[in-house]
This record gives sequence, C-alpha cells and structure tokens, in this order.
Amino acid sequence: MFRKILIANRGEIALRILRACRALGVEAVVAYSEADRDSLPVQLADEAICIGPADAKRSYLSAPAMISAAIVTGCDAIHPGYGFLSEDEGFAEVVGAHDLVFIGPPAPVLDRFASKESTRRLLASHGLPTIPGSNGVLRDDAHALEEAARIGYPLLIKPSAGGGGKGMRMVRTPRELEASLNVCRSEARAAFGDDSLYLERWLDENRHVEVQVAVDRYGHGVHLGERDCSVQRRHQKILEEAPTPALSPAAREDLCNRAIRAVVEAGYENVGTLEFLVDSAGNYYFIEINCRIQVEHPVTEMLTGIDMVATQIRIAAGEPLGFTQADVVPRGHAIEFRINAEDPENDFRPSAGTIERYLAPGGPGIRMDSHLFAGYEVPPFYDSLLGKLIVWGQTREIAIARSLVALDELVLDGIITNVAIHQALLRSDAFIEGRMTTNLLDRVGGAAFLAAAART
Amino acid sequence: MTDDRARRPAAEDRSDDERTADHAEIDRLATELVPALIAKLAATGLGEIEVREGPWRVRVRRPAAAGTDRGRRSTDRPSRAQPGHAGHGHPPAGFETHRSAREGRGPVAHSTNGASPAGTPVGPGASDQEPSGSAGGSRTDSQTRAVATSPAVGVYQPSRDASPGSRVRSGDRLGVVDMLGVAQEVVAPADGLVGASLVEPGQAVEYGQELVIIELAAEPGQTTGRAPAGEA
Repeated sequence: MFRKILIANRGEIALRILRACRALGVEAVVAYSEADRDSLPVQLADEAICIGPADAKRSYLSAPAMISAAIVTGCDAIHPGYGFLSEDEGFAEVVGAHDLVFIGPPAPVLDRFASKESTRRLLASHGLPTIPGSNGVLRDDAHALEEAARIGYPLLIKPSAGGGGKGMRMVRTPRELEASLNVCRSEARAAFGDDSLYLERWLDENRHVEVQVAVDRYGHGVHLGERDCSVQRRHQKILEEAPTPALSPAAREDLCNRAIRAVVEAGYENVGTLEFLVDSAGNYYFIEINCRIQVEHPVTEMLTGIDMVATQIRIAAGEPLGFTQADVVPRGHAIEFRINAEDPENDFRPSAGTIERYLAPGGPGIRMDSHLFAGYEVPPFYDSLLGKLIVWGQTREIAIARSLVALDELVLDGIITNVAIHQALLRSDAFIEGRMTTNLLDRVGGAAFLAAAART
Repeated sequence: MTDDRARRPAAEDRSDDERTADHAEIDRLATELVPALIAKLAATGLGEIEVREGPWRVRVRRPAAAGTDRGRRSTDRPSRAQPGHAGHGHPPAGFETHRSAREGRGPVAHSTNGASPAGTPVGPGASDQEPSGSAGGSRTDSQTRAVATSPAVGVYQPSRDASPGSRVRSGDRLGVVDMLGVAQEVVAPADGLVGASLVEPGQAVEYGQELVIIELAAEPGQTTGRAPAGEA
C-alpha cells in the first residue's frame, strides 16, 4: 500500500478521497488552488499544499505543479479524482516517469483506451455491440459520403479524440454532412490537436446506462452492476439511479457480464465505467469507457456496500481485488441527486455566493457527500457541483419516497440550487414510470418542467 | 541495431542525395510527429518533450518567455474555465529537430514555427493580480516593506546577487523556485533593499508562500536612482 497520497482535486471528491485514505490508514496531502484555501478538504486534511492560483490551467490542470507538489511533500502516489487531469494519459505517463503512481489505469492502458474510435473497435472485437458507424476514421469527404450512405441518416459526426460535445454534429442529409465536415475537423483540431472524425448512427430517443467494473493487475475482474444516467441536461448528468428501470433483470445481467468479459479480455486495469446507449426497443450499444472514478460512484456503493475509491487505490497499489463476482450482491435501489449551484428557473444559469446555512438530511438510507459548511464562499472558478445526495431503499418506490423527504429536509441558504428540479422530477410521471430519456429535459425545458410539476 | 548512418562522414561531406533524403525525412517528421508532440505538450502542461525516432531526436519546447514576461502580466487574469474543458488551450510555440548526438552528427535542422506565445503562463509574477486580491507576487504588510512570494510549488534557491542589503528594483530576480526542473523566477515586488529571507535555500515552498522581505526605498516612484547613498 502507498505511504502518502497527493489528492489532486477539489470539492466533494477531494473530501471523498481523503475519507478513503483515512479508512485505509494512508496519509494524504490535499493540493489546492488559492481559491480553495478555506475549503473543507483543506481544513480537514492532515497536510495541504497550495499549488497555484484560482485559474485551473495553472493549478488543478497543471501537471508540473501537481507532480512537484507530490515530490516536495514526499508522496508516492497521486489521486486525480474526476475531471481535471484524471483521464490525461500524458499526465499518467509523466507521473510514472517521476517514480510516482497514478491512481487509475497505468499509462499504457490509458493510452490504449484514449481514442474513442479505436476503443469502440477494440471492444466490438471482444463482443460488445456498438452503434452502427463508419469503418475507422474518415479518410476524406468522399469516404465520409460513402460510409454515410452505408450506415443511413440521420448521423452523428464525432471526433476520435476528446469529448464534451466539441466537434460533434448531427446531420440529416448528405448535403448537411458535406457542409459540416470541415467545421467539425477544425473544432476537433482546435480542441484536441487531432482532427480525425468518424460517423455514428443517430439514436433519437435513448437511455444512458453504464456498467461499473473493477479489474486488478492480475486480470481478475468483476462488474458491480449498472447505473442509469438518463436524466441529463445538455449531456450533463443530474440524477443517477440503479438498477436501471430500462432493462429486465435478465437483460441487465447479460449487459454487465458482456461488459466485464470484454474489458478483461481487452486488458483493462483498475476501476472504470463502460457507457452504453439503450434504444426504445431495449437494444444496447457501447459508446465509451471512462477510465476513472465517476461522480455517481456512490450509487454503486449503496447497492453493493463496496468502497469504490478504496478499491481503486488498492488496485493501483498492486493489490489483488480480494473479492469475486459472487461477493458482489446488489441490494435494493439507490438514487443520486447532484446538487448544483445553478438556477433551474433561469436556464440553469450558474450561481455563486456564500452558504449562509447548511443542514444535511439524515435518516435510514440517506448519504450526503458534500464539501459545504455554513459560511463557505463558493468560488466562481470551477464547476457548479455543491454535493451529492444519495438515497437508498429496498425498492424504487421506497427510495423515491425517502428522496422527497430528504430533499425537503436539506437546508442550503445563500445560493440558488437546482433542488427544485429534483423535486419536480420525483413527482413527474416520466420519472416515476421510468421513462426518462437523455433528451427529455432539454426538449421540455427546465422552467416548463418545474411548472408542470407545480400543477400536479 | 546496426545503423550505418552512425558511421557517416560529417555533415559538410554529405552528398546531395543524402541531403535531399535528410530534408525529406525532416519534412516527414514535421508533418507526422511534431503535431502529435505539440498536442501532447499542450495537453500535459509540460515545459518540454523530447523523443527519439531512429537517428532523429525531436524536441518540442514552450517559449521560455513566460517566466520573465512582465509586460503581459496585467492582462494575465485567471479564466473561468470549467474543469475538464480547459487544458487544451495553450499552444507551445517552438520545435526543434536534431540529429541525436549519439549518432556523431551535429544538428542538421533547427526550425521554429511562428505560433503565438500568448496563453502560455508558467508562473505568476510581481504584478499578477488575482480577483481574490491574494495573488502570488507581492504582499505589502506596511508602508515600509513588501514581501516577495513564490511563483510556484517547488524548491527555492536564492540568487547570489540578491543577498540581504543589496538594492533591487521592482521585477529584479531574487531567486528561483525549481518546479520539476523548470526555474520559475522569484521577483522583487517593489524597489528597495533585500531584507530577511523567510525560507532556507533548498527548502520546499508552496505557491504564494512568502519568501523574501523587501525594505521599501524612500522614494518608491523614483526611476533614475540606482545609486546615491544616504537616502535611507
């Protein structure tokens, strides 16, 4: 096991990693920017080090600053959390070159899964269904038109590198395709330094279901069930639950078994998440793999009782997984609500301010992962996540009922949050009946969704 | 592992064919390898990357200007970038191609592309103002003294020519903080005399840590006075 870990992140995930380190008996150093000097993880840490100014490019995204901080504080490993440097294979490589361990997949493994397009082909070759798409990256416009005719419209143009919607376009006709290719190339080149594109069939109404896996260095892997993340706004997840209401127990079992078999065969290591789109007929298609701990990992922890962050750290330290598929017994139903500093009445505009009062809800099956405290000034420089409320119940109905109580109990004064949208979701027929699709909230609009909930 | 290029005569004795072949090889590296290295450099935030390919050695480096470029500082404000969306935005500005020294040949190519050095901040400096008001660079605890702070997390080494008692001008180098082998300048926040050092040479320091006290000059606005004694 490691002696001392540098936590290269902020907010609730820095706190979550700190807690995992303590439970494992490993010392931890919290790396922070000037804007986070008074944050809870910094206050609770045994040791903290300022790595740069508020600007993330010069602090949380600066590989040299992070590695230098790890070296001067005597750490032997770096935990990147999610976002920031967590999926940067270049960072993982440089960390390794300085005799430090990157807590995540080893650099060569990250490298193998860095390109979405080649990962899609790799895992397809190991038996995962993928969305019908182009055969490799597009060579030129003529190749694109040829492939498009074979796949059928509407289509999604996607860059092979990166994510976040940059360089992505939905096209309905050959003319639109021709007009969009150059725009996508230049967007992808500007954002990722790589302008290779590929095509995928566009699935209009779909659900987002992902499978959590954990694979140790010795090729022993288990899946920890799936999570449904279909409640999204502009491709950002806002609520996650498990099990997914979209698939039968037999279909869920089949999906999870195929996912873990494919990644073990393809040589994946450490914890990871395979994302799938599920269409209205219940067909599922692999889209991408996330090689890090995810925001919504507590949903899986509530169902399985397994500490995902501790598991991740132990695997990176070279320990065997220590449990088998038979030991993973998901129980009940869990829902996670991302509590964001944004205003659902005003197009989810980000809000900033000082937390005047804060009281986390409690009771059976209730967990609050948050870095908030009364008097905390939410810095405007980073993402809007204030915390996550995770609620467990023996059944989905019980989980929903407990969630309404918990959201009502939550006191969070001084800043505008999206709690109202969660309350509206829990009262909406679409959510109660398990019919949420990834574009529903965008199609209806946040304000209209709130108004509809208020009428019922 | 046998490479007959290693035994070739020195560069000036090469035939036209060899020169043409070398130029073609350089063109190939410039179009195939260099863009990938530039992308990697931009993504990692490193100062420099060097790789070997066959007998070639290719090095991509950020402009050295960032640490000393005081003129740009006033506009070098933090962006409100969201995590996960930044980190691709700073293009490195130069690359060089060298024959490996191991191959017994001098550099045959040295080219620099013209990318802008804008957006390649490395360290904060004396006039770097953060909205929070607690910027790295300087802190004035009274009208008589200012404190030079660390521009980076790393290991501090004072300059030999900035010993206590010596006169410095705002922006003069007081020392460096070594961040992974890249020296980040510690600069005087104001005109004055170098006072007490708050950390030892070789000590690890964090970003913004107070390093050296500067006793302010009697006439801080004066721009000509390098010399006269007795003003303090």
